[in-house]
Amino acid sequence: MESRKVKMRADNVCLNFGKVQALAEVSFDVYEGEILALIGPNGAGKTSLLNCISGFYHPQLGSICYEEQDISRMPPAKRARLGISRTFQNIELYTGLTALDNLMAARHIYLKYGPVAGGFFFGRARGEEIRNRYVVEQIIDLLEMEEVRYQIVQALPYGLRKRVDLGRALALEPKLLLLDEPMAGMNVEEKEDMARFILDIQEIKHIPIIIVEHDMDVVMDIAHRVVVLDFGRKLAEGPPSAIKHDEQVIKAYLGQQ
Amino acid sequence: MSSAPERRALERGRVPAQGNADTLPKLLVRNYRKYGTDNVAIREKNMGIWESYTWADYYETVRALSLAFLELGLRPGDRVSIIGENKPHVYWFEVAAQAAGAAVVGIFADCTPPEVQHYAGHSGSRFAVCQDQEQVDKFLEIKDKLPDLEKIIYWDPKGLWKYHDPDLLSFDRMLEIGRPAAQKNPDLFEECVANTKADDLAVFFYTSGTTGLPKAGMVTHRSLIGMAEGLNEVNDFQENEEYLSFLPIAWIAEQLFVACTLIYAMRTNFPEKPETVQQNIREIGPEVVFFGPRLWEGLIRMIQVKMLDSSWMHRLFFNLALKIGYKMADLRMKGLRPSSSQALLFNLAHRLVFRNLRDNLGLLKTRVGYSGGGAVSPDVLRYFLAIGVTVKQLYGSSEVGIVTCHRDDHIKPETCGPPMSDVEIKVSAEGEIIIKTPNLFSGYFKQPEKTAEKVIDGWYYTEDFGHIDKDGQLVVMDRMEDLVTIAGGKKFSPQFCEIRLRFSPFIKDVLAVGRPDQYFIGALINIELDNVGHWAETNKIPYTTFTDLSQKPQIIELIRKEIAKINEILPEHSQIRKFINLHKEFDPDEAEMTRTRKLRRTFVEDRFKDLLDGIFGETREVEVVSQITYRDGRTGTTKSTITVNQV
Repeated sequence: MESRKVKMRADNVCLNFGKVQALAEVSFDVYEGEILALIGPNGAGKTSLLNCISGFYHPQLGSICYEEQDISRMPPAKRARLGISRTFQNIELYTGLTALDNLMAARHIYLKYGPVAGGFFFGRARGEEIRNRYVVEQIIDLLEMEEVRYQIVQALPYGLRKRVDLGRALALEPKLLLLDEPMAGMNVEEKEDMARFILDIQEIKHIPIIIVEHDMDVVMDIAHRVVVLDFGRKLAEGPPSAIKHDEQVIKAYLGQQ
Repeated sequence: MSSAPERRALERGRVPAQGNADTLPKLLVRNYRKYGTDNVAIREKNMGIWESYTWADYYETVRALSLAFLELGLRPGDRVSIIGENKPHVYWFEVAAQAAGAAVVGIFADCTPPEVQHYAGHSGSRFAVCQDQEQVDKFLEIKDKLPDLEKIIYWDPKGLWKYHDPDLLSFDRMLEIGRPAAQKNPDLFEECVANTKADDLAVFFYTSGTTGLPKAGMVTHRSLIGMAEGLNEVNDFQENEEYLSFLPIAWIAEQLFVACTLIYAMRTNFPEKPETVQQNIREIGPEVVFFGPRLWEGLIRMIQVKMLDSSWMHRLFFNLALKIGYKMADLRMKGLRPSSSQALLFNLAHRLVFRNLRDNLGLLKTRVGYSGGGAVSPDVLRYFLAIGVTVKQLYGSSEVGIVTCHRDDHIKPETCGPPMSDVEIKVSAEGEIIIKTPNLFSGYFKQPEKTAEKVIDGWYYTEDFGHIDKDGQLVVMDRMEDLVTIAGGKKFSPQFCEIRLRFSPFIKDVLAVGRPDQYFIGALINIELDNVGHWAETNKIPYTTFTDLSQKPQIIELIRKEIAKINEILPEHSQIRKFINLHKEFDPDEAEMTRTRKLRRTFVEDRFKDLLDGIFGETREVEVVSQITYRDGRTGTTKSTITVNQV
């Protein structure tokens, strides 16, 4: 395990909202190419931790290191350029745009052409648009979104919007992908699809994926390692098989049987 | 009597337009020489854009694949199974295998592993060609039970990157094997092609298995080409005509068009995905389409629902136009010419309504649509004729090919049209349709005794009940075994009722049942979830599940009215008196339907025996506990109360 390269390190992260302690001394590593699941009961601090990594929150104490660079104080937009990309629990998309346009919009960080070329759609603008469209089409192919390419996001069913949200995150060509409850509110079939997509992404891109998820079956199926949070503290860390039998975890989260 | 193209064809005589190209691979070689890179043979939507392949591309890919097959040890007379959705690769692999002298076994993409095992195992396929991970997984699961299987080839690598099975081979790998082989030995491919003979087996078709285990009908190149020529006599296919490939490749109809597109150098268009057909068809504007009855019915349902959703103005114009259209359809069906005022009105209706409607359906340019593979309601054909789309019914099967087809100016919607020029049809004393055709199949694979049951003195016994009407057109009533003599001595044909009921926008499927000891007909109705749900919504009826919706009193009333309406056109003894709204949909995954979406009648009757007993008994309500098999293979049970309803 230890021989593998550390992609991201959370070190002693503490986050308070007033007197509420959301995260207390949370430390863990994310290795190259692994799927790491963050689990815990409601209010355990999973999303807060994700927000610390993506930059929406800044921890009061401790640090987030990404590729051996301290990014604890870096704004989210800069982190996106570094290759940290995420999906949201409540889906954040341009609801009035098509699925395709949402993905294209996410490519803006890779667009360099100016307003004139863009306005007349020639030269650099044309070339870049075509190149970026190609990248987006590969994502559409991967996530099987051909059918909804030209549909307005607002009109899409929930499961598909989640998929577009994942597509948007992928369009940034992430080097670290954060998924906040990608399967919440889905039926069995949609969950299986999503699990397959996550595995496919990991297989093609070999990037680490941090996934916050409630569905234990899914987590145990696809995660390589699991970090368990409870009341803002790290309760346990390890492979799914070990976590499943960890007494503390069972007590706090899985429920006693 | 005969239409213009038919006359032209008759004047020419049955010219074998393809000269001595009497197999599909030979036709490909001919087209390659004739059109090379000038004409586009295949178009496929991929990554959001339409990609074109010329005849030269088609040829080169097939050559590489065919030589790769040879390198891997494929020998003449072998079988190759192909499973997947419609993609150019299917055509490429098929012609490549045939060029090497092998026959192709088409398998429906949604078949379960045991089904696949039967097809691939029974046919003794040495190679399996799969579309993607889903299909590869099926073969890997059953590989050990298929002693003849040597290699599994796939063309869509998604999700398969980490598969390391030694028997697994990608499309690209096949090309890597085949291309150098073509360079090393440039004449080998065409030598192989020249060695193929018209009487070589080209395709195996497994019967849909409404009864018993599926049998494999073996069809030669000669028969396939013969069928295509017959159809061409009626419809005069043109070079570069746009054909939409959408039917399952395991079905004779699609194989017929593999042949047609090769013989007449038509252009085949492949949609991006089955789900995107409705978008893609608009982009293509196909001139020739072939859909099953369900799809034609589905299109009409879509129109009906969208009209319900539109403004009263639109509805007014639409209904007016439809009235004019129906009038015109009646004339055209009889081969009569409209008066100038009628023509003017229709022209107006076309410009104001039908043109846009057809454009939205993607059928604006459609010269001819075919419906086959099951009975279609005459109302469906009339409806499409009214909006200006000629839909012809074909009757045939993999054993006998195309037997009848409607002619342009003589479409009788309740018939299947007159026989093709080289086909003879007779009706036996029991009313069974029997057929003599030069395109007869070569028997069932490994089951000569079954062949002998069906083919007697060169006549093929269809087990279909029907007659030939006074205009010489074939009327198919039903399967012989499905006909029931009900109490009172009258013969009842379930199919006759069912296809007419299915014309209702709210009824997706029906099982009409008559019993020998009963005077009336009962029906199990599978409501159309989308349309009924929509109706419930507009009428402010809240519902939760399919079961809940189906049992709402208002929905039962809605269906009752639909049945009453259709009862008016049914003969009295065939009218439906009692019905049940089923709590679930008929599903091929639960073996209630075949893969071509035909009801497995005996199975379904047996499965829903309690409900049927309820209909024919005195009960008002029936408790059902049903087993559900989920897509992921898990099973569960549900319990619900179903009401028996009078019409």
